[in-house]
Amino acid sequence: MTVVTKPLETTRATAVEKGGRGWSRIVLHAVVIGLMLLWLVPTLGLFVNSFRPAADVARSGWWNALFPPWDFTLDNYSRVIAANNLGDSFINSLLITIPATVIPVMVAAFAAYAFAWMNFPFRNAIFVAIVGLLVIPLQSTLIPVLRLLAGAGIAGEFLAVWLAHTGYGLPFAVYLLRNYMGGLPREVFESAAIDGASPTTAFFRLALPMSVPVLASLTIFQFLFVWNDLLVSLIYIGPTNPDNLPMTVRVASLVSSLGGETHFLTAAAFLTMILPLVVFLFLQRYFVRGITGGAVKG
Amino acid sequence: MTRGIGWRRAPAALAVVALLVAACGTGASPSPATQAPPDGTTGPGESMAPSDDFSGEEVTFVGSWGGSEQDSFLAMVKPWEDRTGAKVKYTGSRGLGAYLTTAVASGTLPDLAGLPGPGEMAQFSEAGALKPLESVLDMEDYRANTVGALVDLGSVNGQVTGVWMKLSVKGFIWYNTANYSGDRPANWDGVMAVDPSPADSLFCVALESGADSGWPGTDWVEDILIRQAGPDVYDSWVAGQTKWTDPAIKQAFETFGDVLDVSFGGTAYVNSTNFGAGGNELFTDPPGCLFHHQASFMSDFFKSQGGAQDGDFDFFVMPEINSQYAGALTGGGDLVGLFSDKPAAQDLLRYLVSAEAQQIWADRGGFVSANTQVTTYPTAVEQKSADAIHDATVFRFDGGDLMPGTMKAAFFSAMVQFAENQGNLDQILADLDAVQAEAYAAQ
Repeated sequence: MTVVTKPLETTRATAVEKGGRGWSRIVLHAVVIGLMLLWLVPTLGLFVNSFRPAADVARSGWWNALFPPWDFTLDNYSRVIAANNLGDSFINSLLITIPATVIPVMVAAFAAYAFAWMNFPFRNAIFVAIVGLLVIPLQSTLIPVLRLLAGAGIAGEFLAVWLAHTGYGLPFAVYLLRNYMGGLPREVFESAAIDGASPTTAFFRLALPMSVPVLASLTIFQFLFVWNDLLVSLIYIGPTNPDNLPMTVRVASLVSSLGGETHFLTAAAFLTMILPLVVFLFLQRYFVRGITGGAVKG
Repeated sequence: MTRGIGWRRAPAALAVVALLVAACGTGASPSPATQAPPDGTTGPGESMAPSDDFSGEEVTFVGSWGGSEQDSFLAMVKPWEDRTGAKVKYTGSRGLGAYLTTAVASGTLPDLAGLPGPGEMAQFSEAGALKPLESVLDMEDYRANTVGALVDLGSVNGQVTGVWMKLSVKGFIWYNTANYSGDRPANWDGVMAVDPSPADSLFCVALESGADSGWPGTDWVEDILIRQAGPDVYDSWVAGQTKWTDPAIKQAFETFGDVLDVSFGGTAYVNSTNFGAGGNELFTDPPGCLFHHQASFMSDFFKSQGGAQDGDFDFFVMPEINSQYAGALTGGGDLVGLFSDKPAAQDLLRYLVSAEAQQIWADRGGFVSANTQVTTYPTAVEQKSADAIHDATVFRFDGGDLMPGTMKAAFFSAMVQFAENQGNLDQILADLDAVQAEAYAAQ
C-alpha cells in the first residue's frame, strides 16, 4: 500500500503535471486489479471445475479446461439440484437465517443502547461478563444446550436454531454495537432528554438511525455466519427432524462416506454462494451510503 | 410496570414465531423429543392394524453415507416403506462420531443410526442408549446367515448390539489387468520378487487424507502384522497390552518400510498424494506402479479418479507371510444400531439385515454384505470381495479403529513420520509407547 500511496502524495504535492498524475493512477489501478485477480483465482478455479466432468477434475488442473478441446458439462449442477431436495433446504436455510439474523441484531441494539447510555447497577460488570462470553467455544455448549432445547420440546424445530444462533451471536453483536453507540455525541442524548424524550424515544429516534452503518455491517456478519453454519443446525435440528435441515447439511451429504464424489461440491458451492453474494452487494451499498451520510452531517 | 408490559408482550412474540413455523408447513412434523410417547404420532386405530402396518409413522436414521451411497440406501428402504406405509427420514453426516456422542449425552436420539465403530458401540451401549438386539432379531436366523466373526464384533458383553451393512475388506493388492497376469504369489516374498515392468515401481502408496493422513499406512501395518505375527499378537497389541517397541510390531513396520523402498515417486509422492488418487498411477501410460494395496472400496476411486472402467482392474488378497497364519484377513464396515423402542424402528432393523434388503444395495454396486445369503454381485470384483470375507479363517476388525482416539491419531501421524524418515523408527515407536501408556489408562 505504501508503495502505491507515496508517489500519489508526491505528485499531488507538486501537482503541476497532469500526465504524471494520470500515470500514477494507471499504476494504482493496475496494482488493485492485479490484487483482485490474484484474490479471485481460487474462486475462478472452483467455478471452472464446477463445469468439468469428474474424471477431468481428478486428473488435471482447472486451467487445462481453458484451452481447447473444451469439454464442459452441466451434469454437476443438474445432479446437485436434483439430489437431496436442495430446493426445500434452500427455503429452510432462508427460514433459519433471516430470523437468526434479525433477532440477535435487534436484541443487541437494545442491549448496546442500555450499556452505553442508561444507568443501572453493575452495568460495567454485566458488560464485561457478556464480552467475556466471546472466549467460550461454541462447541463446548452443544450438549447442555441441546439438553435444554430437548427438555423444552423444541429440538428439531427452527425455533431451536434461532435461539441458539441468537445466543451465539449476541456477545459479539453487543460488543460491537455498544462501542459504536458509546461513540455517538453525548449532547444529542442530553438535549433529547431535556426536550422530554424517554430512553425509548431516544433509542428509536436517535440511537438507531445514527447506528445504521454498524447495524448493516453486523447484519452482513451474522447473515454470513448463520448461512454458512453446518454444526449448529446439524446438532440442534439434527437427524431427528431432517425436513428442517438447511442447505449446508444437504451439500455436505453429497460426499460419500470415504470422501468420494467431491466433484459435486464445486457446483453446490456456487449454488449456496448466490444468496450471500446478493445480500452482501445489496447491504454493501447501503453500508457505504450510511458512512458518507453521517460524515456530511457530522 | 415496564416489566409487566414486557411479559405481556412475550407470549405474543412467541405466538408469532409459532405461526411462522406452522405457516412454513414444518411445524406439523412431530416433536423429536424422546419423552414423547410414540402413539402421539400415529392416527387412531393403530391397535387394530396388522403388526407391520406403520402408516404415517416416521423412522429417523442417521448414517455416514452420502452421495450415491445415500441413493442406494434410500433405494434399499423403499420396499419397506411401500409395505409398511412408514417413512424413513435419512440424514447423512460424515461427522457421525461427534454427532452421536452429543446426541447420546443429551438424550436427543435418532431411531436408528450408523455407528462409527465397535468402540463407540460399546460406549453408547454402556450409556444405555443403544438397545440390545437379541429380542428384536430372529437370532437363530441372524447367526446362521452372518459371517461368524462379524456377529461377535457387533456384540457388547455377549449381546448383539450392532448389525453390519456395508463391509470393506482390507488387504487387497489391486492391479491393472493390462499390466499384470493376475497370478497370486504363494507368499509375501513372492509378491516382493515380482518384476514391476512395464511399470516404474512395484507399489503405489498414498497416505494423505486431511486430518486423518496416514491411515492407509496403518492398514498396511495391520495387514502385515496379522499375517506375520498372528491374530493373538494383533489382539493384544490392539488392546494395548503389547508395546509398540515389541519386536513383532517393529518387524511389521520394517516390512512396510521395504514396500516404501520400492514405491512410486518417493517420500514426497507418498505423503502428499490423497489416498483416493493413490491408484491413479496403475492406469497411466507408462504405468507408475504395478500394485496398489487398499481396501475393497478402492474400486470406486479407480473409476471416479483414475478413469478406469469395470474390468480394467482386479485384485488378489494379500498372501500369507508366515504360513502358520494363512487365511487371516482384516476389514471394517458400517455398523447400525437401534436407539429406539418404536415397533416401526425395530421392524426396519429386521428388514435391513435381511438378504432381500441387502441384495438391493449389492445390486446397485459398491456393497459387500455380511449376509451370506446375498449371493449375486454386479461385478466380479465385488463377488471376489464377498468370497474373501466369507472364506477367511481368521477375521479381525481394523486395529486402529478399535484403539482409543488419541492412540489412533498418534498411529496415523506415526505412519506419515515413518514414510518421511524410516531411520527414525525406534524413536517413533518409543513415542507411540508413551501415548499408549496414557491413552489406555484414560479409557
